[in-house]
Amino acid sequence: MDVYVMGVAVHPAADAIRDLRLEELAYTTARAALDDARLTRDHIDHVTLACCDEIDARGISSMLLASPSGAYLKDENRVTDSGLTGLHLGALRAASGHLGLGLVVSWSQSSVGPLENIARMRAEPFYSRPIGLNFAITEGFLAGAVATQFGITEVEVAERVCYRLSAAAKNERSLQRARTSPDDIGASPLLAWPLRVGHRPPVTDGAAAIVLASGEWVRTHPESRPLARIAGIEWAVDSHALSGERLAGFQVFHDTLRRLLSRAGLAGVNDFDLIEYEAQTAWADIAIERALDAGPGVTLNPSGGAWSQNPFFCRGLVNAVEATLQVSGRAGTNQIAGARCALVHGSCGFAQQGHGFMALESVH
Amino acid sequence: MAVIGVGQTAHRSRHDDKTYPELVQQAVVLALEDAGLHPDQIDAVVFSMAQTTFMGVHDADKWAVDYAWARGKPFMRVNSGGASGGSALQAAHDHVASGQYGTVLVVGADRITETPDAQFVLNLIWDPMYEQQVALNTVTMTALAAQRYMHKYGTTEQQYARVVVRARRNAMNNPSAHLKGLIDVDAVMASPRIAWPHKLFDICPRSAGAAAIVLSREDLARERCARPAFINGVAGMSNTVFMGDRMGLQADSDFADFCGLPLAAAECYRQAGITDPMREIQVAEIYDAFSSFHFPQLESLGFCARGTAQYLSDDGEFDLCGQLAVNPSGGTLCSHPIGVTGLVRVAEAARQVMHRAGAMQVPSVRNALATAAGGSSQFFTVTLLGDEPRRHGSAARLSNLSPTRY
Repeated sequence: MDVYVMGVAVHPAADAIRDLRLEELAYTTARAALDDARLTRDHIDHVTLACCDEIDARGISSMLLASPSGAYLKDENRVTDSGLTGLHLGALRAASGHLGLGLVVSWSQSSVGPLENIARMRAEPFYSRPIGLNFAITEGFLAGAVATQFGITEVEVAERVCYRLSAAAKNERSLQRARTSPDDIGASPLLAWPLRVGHRPPVTDGAAAIVLASGEWVRTHPESRPLARIAGIEWAVDSHALSGERLAGFQVFHDTLRRLLSRAGLAGVNDFDLIEYEAQTAWADIAIERALDAGPGVTLNPSGGAWSQNPFFCRGLVNAVEATLQVSGRAGTNQIAGARCALVHGSCGFAQQGHGFMALESVH
Repeated sequence: MAVIGVGQTAHRSRHDDKTYPELVQQAVVLALEDAGLHPDQIDAVVFSMAQTTFMGVHDADKWAVDYAWARGKPFMRVNSGGASGGSALQAAHDHVASGQYGTVLVVGADRITETPDAQFVLNLIWDPMYEQQVALNTVTMTALAAQRYMHKYGTTEQQYARVVVRARRNAMNNPSAHLKGLIDVDAVMASPRIAWPHKLFDICPRSAGAAAIVLSREDLARERCARPAFINGVAGMSNTVFMGDRMGLQADSDFADFCGLPLAAAECYRQAGITDPMREIQVAEIYDAFSSFHFPQLESLGFCARGTAQYLSDDGEFDLCGQLAVNPSGGTLCSHPIGVTGLVRVAEAARQVMHRAGAMQVPSVRNALATAAGGSSQFFTVTLLGDEPRRHGSAARLSNLSPTRY
């Protein structure tokens, strides 16, 4: 794909961002990404937003957020699936031939709204809403299904949480959380069998922004400094039904990843130096690891994944920022030596109804 | 690339015989049949859906996945309020223009009347600190803009009423239209006052309905369709939400004049090589949720000078046999399923170019234009469809567009 990442930013990790309005959160993050690219708002010709009206508690969130995100009198579009979906649309726009330089901005400030109430309103009203379906229950369904499919045990899950927290502790952009033990995690309250409270990364507030440029824009601006090339993007949605086949089969995950590898001209996941993937529970974390089946040369979630920070809606875009920092050699304390090629994953919908991927490669 | 198939359900107050995803499916089936395609021939799906609070199902799009045969395919939902349909079309265009996908389905549905008071819901789209508190909704917001426009250009309520008369008359030819009929200016003037200058007939209905469009790469379009509607230009523009920032000497644009729209139109025309819109474009399907949307929109699109559209309208120049046929379908004044209204505009424009508009068909259409508007009249999209590909240079986008100060 002839599209380049020019600049990235994530808002400093925080459980709750209480000193900024949502508009200010979007503005500061978009501005930081432009600064990182050494560009100004005047340079860009389009903006792609990814945000959720319900989480933002706004009727049409982009009405108030478009201008602070840099879209004042710009060509702006918006998706509502996830932050990574915004990056997918942003990349398509940059590759379309009629747009050159753009911003992708996404945020999630769920500290001011009850996420599980929003989840209940996501459910359709005839069957799933009356039984009280929410994120915890659907993640519990997923956990139960993958436990059977992959033979995952509670002990493994507890150990995985500790492992991710340990990785997050090495990431300078991560929230620094108190160490915990597998026993403590195993003793945490049962939420939706087999899912326990300790198996889930805490949801945090946050925002991320990425500056993208078409290859033509880069070539006509020789002074520009691309950080990475997007080698390929792919995403897909699975059935709305929460069947065991859908939850345990990972069919859409596998098919979409296969298409991504083909687009990027890669033989397999072992061509990547690292993979940043989104898992909203440690059960899902282990299941995705099994589904990826990567060799020992591939580092999985060096950032700590969702345990480093977990702005729910834009977690996938945060993964893209982390991967960009890795392949451009700017990851800091958790830098993987010689990282040149990264896979980014994000998910959306109940129990990972949607999966998205992006392949990033170094340009240096 | 080109539109090779369109489908839309009837637009009416309620579709109690169908669930939301079933309504979506009806439009998909119609569009696929129109394109002569099987669901397996769709590479990706873009879903058009505005705010979910009318219906109260936040994941309505994901609920519809299986009904749209989207399982296993790239799928994204686009939402820019009333402009969603135009923005979704733009996103689908980018799917194909990027070279990533060959054939893309754009689909959506809305059911506004699931809520007993749509204007209460619409009050919630504004800033909670300031604008929500003054009881702003889309009727009062557009009434304020209409007052400003009337003050600037001397427009009368009767001139707005003539727009409604034309729309309802045109809709007589549209089997999908929600409102239609032969009415006169007196009937519009006699309809109940809602918010000055708006009367009931100046305002769109609250509709339920669905629409779908199939886009294909040019080579596939030529294989599959005898007369595709080629997308020769597509652009969007976003303005500030605050109406007060679009007034006065320091403002970049004027709230009364839809001043984001000329910027989108300029880019769209640049792509399509349009230099004289009134001469080169035969049909305009514009997003006119209120009669007051007509004049500033037609002026912003370059069909006439500021303040003159009302007189051309009086003279019948926007009738079916006038210089420019505006909304042969009856437009948004006659059907308004918000989340897909912008897509309906594109579908109707495409049908005109494809010569599949039935009783609505305008003779000899070579170029047709569609618009969408959303938010506080702050999001605009413009799409230009033609009977042949006339896409002009791609890279030389007007990168730093500046609005004309008013």
